[in-house]
Amino acid sequence: MAEEGTLHYDPDKNYDEETLAQQRIIEKQIAGTQDFVTERLDFSVLEQEYAEDPVYIKKVRSLKSKYLCLRKTRGDGNCFYRAFGFAYFEKLLEDQEEFNRFRDVASKSKDVLVSLGFPQFTIEDFHDTFMEVVDKVGSQCPLEELHKIFNDQGYSDYLVVYLRLLVSGHLQKEADFFSNFVEGDRTIKEFCNQEVEPMGKESDHIHIIALTAVTGVSVRVEYMDRGGETTNAHDFPDGSTPKIALLYRPGHYDILYT
Amino acid sequence: MSTPARRRLMRDFKRLQEDPPAGVSGAPTDNNIMLWNAVIFGPHDTPFEDGTFKLTIEFTEEYPNKPPTVRFVSKMFHPNVYADGSICLDILQNRWSPTYDVSAILTSIQSLLHDPNPNSPANNEAAQLYRENRREYERRVAAVVQESWNDDDDEEMQSKEEK
Repeated sequence: MAEEGTLHYDPDKNYDEETLAQQRIIEKQIAGTQDFVTERLDFSVLEQEYAEDPVYIKKVRSLKSKYLCLRKTRGDGNCFYRAFGFAYFEKLLEDQEEFNRFRDVASKSKDVLVSLGFPQFTIEDFHDTFMEVVDKVGSQCPLEELHKIFNDQGYSDYLVVYLRLLVSGHLQKEADFFSNFVEGDRTIKEFCNQEVEPMGKESDHIHIIALTAVTGVSVRVEYMDRGGETTNAHDFPDGSTPKIALLYRPGHYDILYT
Repeated sequence: MSTPARRRLMRDFKRLQEDPPAGVSGAPTDNNIMLWNAVIFGPHDTPFEDGTFKLTIEFTEEYPNKPPTVRFVSKMFHPNVYADGSICLDILQNRWSPTYDVSAILTSIQSLLHDPNPNSPANNEAAQLYRENRREYERRVAAVVQESWNDDDDEEMQSKEEK
């Protein structure tokens, strides 16, 4: 690489690999300091974070009046899926009826994906692991065990991938509708290949709409940004009764508890 | 200890044996499921025809959520292959999808031999010849095809070519 501040381009070098290697180092540094999903935390952690920021402090206070506590998730581009997955599975531990509904949806989802043209072999691998965890939840495993699974990278990432595949499948199935929301000159398939399926790609409204639709799980997102006095709640889908609540700060999702 | 990555690589291997795609092969090295050797046979009707190109595939515990590192071990002359054998192919970098497996990786590289992308060159000379002097391009490719048959002579050939 560059020495003594001189940059020169070496045409024989694979810079893509260097970029990837650099990304891995940054990911490792983040991994060392932040769990994928933390324990339940008091809002004081947010108050400390924004001690110097009157706008955000006000918003944290308004959050506090509506919610009891939060769990933070690692900011690795997968936070939406991880937050959604953990919050919902935690909910399922105490709601057998909802579990039965979801298990049925989840178990059928593999055939839906295969029928959409996803490769059976790899889909099966992710689906098997996903169902393994779903069934642990169904057997009402202790919350600590679920927490441990979500912080074990192997399992945790497999769960994230499967949720990504569900989103991708739904967007492709409803391509006529969703193609109106894709920016640039991209087909839905290209969008899914570039912005949904790869790990670490952040989620936008379109991803949330697709995941809530395909799983049948309503989500409330509390938006916390510079504008206004309080956080703004938005339910997906509109007008539904949310099963879980997430906190959105620009570029990141955490879990909220009432 | 079995991790999702190792378990998945065993499945990839089993699938590659049971349902091998035409013109590629691959297997884990002795004692190390995370490091594979592979061979891609040059596709018909391309200048690479009849070549037997060896590669290594190095996986991390994050596979299949992150792509492996794939390198040609055999000398290669191709617009999208770097001098050190590493490959400029979007699916091995930012367009990786966890739904790919070893067989998908190898067949994608095989089709890259078919259809080089001279707009994203890793080897400028190869890209230029591919665009402007197809005949010379094919001659240079023919030389690496010959070399691919005899790995032991790799270094000797390389020094000859540089003269």
